[in-house]
Amino acid sequence: MPVSIDLLTSDILWPLALLLAWVGGEFGYRWLGLPRISSYGITGFLLAQSQFGFLPNPSGGPVASLADFAFALILFELGYRINLRWLRANPWLGVTSLVESAATFVAVFAVARLFGVELAPSLLLAALAMATSPAAILRVANELHGAGQVTERTLHLSAFSCLLTVVAFKVIAGYWVLSSAGGFFEAIWASVVVVAVSAGLGALFGVLVAGLLRQTDNPGHAATIVFALAVLLLTTLTTAFKFSPLLAAIAFGMVARHRRVVLTPAQRNFGVLGDLLTVLLFVFVAATIDWRQVVVGIELALAVVAARLLSKTAATTAFARLSGITWRKGFLTGLALTPQSVFVILLLEQSRHLDIGWVSDMAGLAALVLLLEIIGPLVTRWALLRAGEAHPARRG
Amino acid sequence: MPLEPFKTSAALSMGVELELQLVNPTDFDLTAASSDMLFLLERASFPGDVKPEITESMIEIATDVHIRHGALLEQLRRMRDALVRAGDRLNVGLCGGGTHPFQRWFDQRIFAKPRFEEISVLYGYLAKQFTVFGQHVHIGCPSADEALYLLHALNRYVPHFIALSASSPYSQGVDTLFDSARLNSVFAFPLSGRAPFILQWAKFEADYFAKMETTGVVKSMKDFYWDIRPKPEYGTIELRVCDTPLSVERAAAIAGYFQSLCRMLLAREEPAPVEDDYLVYHYNRFQACRFGLDGIMVHPRTHQNISLREDILATLRCLAPHAAVLDAQAALDEIHDVARSENHAQWLRRLGQVSGPAGMVEGAVSRFRKGAEK
Repeated sequence: MPVSIDLLTSDILWPLALLLAWVGGEFGYRWLGLPRISSYGITGFLLAQSQFGFLPNPSGGPVASLADFAFALILFELGYRINLRWLRANPWLGVTSLVESAATFVAVFAVARLFGVELAPSLLLAALAMATSPAAILRVANELHGAGQVTERTLHLSAFSCLLTVVAFKVIAGYWVLSSAGGFFEAIWASVVVVAVSAGLGALFGVLVAGLLRQTDNPGHAATIVFALAVLLLTTLTTAFKFSPLLAAIAFGMVARHRRVVLTPAQRNFGVLGDLLTVLLFVFVAATIDWRQVVVGIELALAVVAARLLSKTAATTAFARLSGITWRKGFLTGLALTPQSVFVILLLEQSRHLDIGWVSDMAGLAALVLLLEIIGPLVTRWALLRAGEAHPARRG
Repeated sequence: MPLEPFKTSAALSMGVELELQLVNPTDFDLTAASSDMLFLLERASFPGDVKPEITESMIEIATDVHIRHGALLEQLRRMRDALVRAGDRLNVGLCGGGTHPFQRWFDQRIFAKPRFEEISVLYGYLAKQFTVFGQHVHIGCPSADEALYLLHALNRYVPHFIALSASSPYSQGVDTLFDSARLNSVFAFPLSGRAPFILQWAKFEADYFAKMETTGVVKSMKDFYWDIRPKPEYGTIELRVCDTPLSVERAAAIAGYFQSLCRMLLAREEPAPVEDDYLVYHYNRFQACRFGLDGIMVHPRTHQNISLREDILATLRCLAPHAAVLDAQAALDEIHDVARSENHAQWLRRLGQVSGPAGMVEGAVSRFRKGAEK
């Protein structure tokens, strides 16, 4: 019966790919010292149908929803580790963040224009380039048991850059919708309201869940499950109403933290659940990439990577001493901010309804995502090791 | 290397060292931040001495030599303020407490410095288990023989300092039921315990230290982890049984109490110490570690059972004239309040029952800051 065999084979494709990716991750880590997530990315890319493999492009499907959830968990954890009081105690950190993002925006915009990209795509590419994807950073930091100023600052700067990127992206996308097909209302809806409502929903969840946990006797172990379920609900809710699940998840984490329910160390990464979903997340992101697009945009991508690296390290180094660390640690912080891929792919994935699908096919983007999905974690890992912030037993 | 000569120092001068915890303000676990903290503290002029300790999540501060409790307290407060400011700039929390309630010792990183790495290799997991935080008080002695006399005359008072400073009720995530679980960790080391009962420095040097040195077990006084040890290079004796209290005010009060007590003992107001005093030493020490101020100790001479609380209050009455001379009444007042109410271990335990181990660290961090924010 060919139909059921077809069904069977298509059903086992994803579980099989995930298992292969996991095996690749373990061996890559043991033999080559490669961060596991880099191997997940390589596996996902190779197994995609557009390359040599069997995975159909997962955009828009159920796997995409799972990836949204996986990333939302990571963003929640990142938000939970953000200490807003630090910004008040050390304003130079905030300055570093703003300058770092602004410099990247300007540099990448200039590069894109130089390559002859049109105005609107150049602006969107510049906005996306500001973001440092927290997925790679948090995974690498946790994998190394990293602790220290480079680790802490990289996490904080990553969170701030994501917030700035979502806002900039929505505003530019909104502007673009206004200036081409849609109406004024659609444009406003796409930017200001989406940003405000997403953040508001996340904050509301933070208050409610923290309050709920305070009523339970066992905040330690209950917290992991309640937070995970709340993140799931928040993600589906914001996706259904076309708000930003990314923004909502960060806001949720930040508010939950400042409402002070303490996570115990065992819950970093959301335990096994987080590990499992991370495999899926990184395979998913790489499987959306088509090698033909990579080839087309490779020059632009290389130029953007260089511009981004330069602007980020220049900013973090310039403000290093003022914000209380060595030049060297400042420089390493800038390097550690290299990863970008997961955030960009999911932001685009969740913006499909804005009718800017052409952005995904934009020149350079596929190559950029692929480059940074594989190289980004390596650079972050190298920077944390050079900063001496990895646990000796995890140096590998 | 023979024992260095015992320097003389101003009698009853004092200095305090505190080992402090560096914690992450997100989950309140220990965090490896001492290199970053030291870099920042060394750039500004720190009002005192600051140095790394064996693991990266510890930092040690030391005051100058002081004669008066008031000046000591004033310096400790300035040091505390500087530390809190630096911690705020780096997103690092600082706190006292003899143990971290839930850190896992195998997660600790050894600070990269030859002596620490040697210790780590020698002691294996004990070195990491040594992630405990103590207060050391130095008292200046006019001569080496006076130092040994004072060291042994203090034997019966050691439990006072354990109970008053105790701030380590939890270890590795559980309530140990001890007020000072920290001392149990210290006790695991082969050269911990008490100094041998020798009252003349010449004899101590020739009969004990030289012999120990030829065994190859020790190289200097630093290798002994005694409850009280002579420190020839400073000309002091060093009290090492105290947990780091949760506030610098309490640390200064304990130093002031210690100073007044030493003055009384050096004035020979009590009969001289004898070897047999140590028959009850370890029992009394256990009582203080386990039950804190509610411990019952055995008087080494009368063999009567006395409550530690009562004994501290009685001692405070005897010390009043000495404190008046030393200008240390404020310190004794605080000790009086502690003996009448509770030590920091009991405060932490109550907090732990309500808000869990992480909540205890959060409480300890805000208690250390208090005063810095006024």
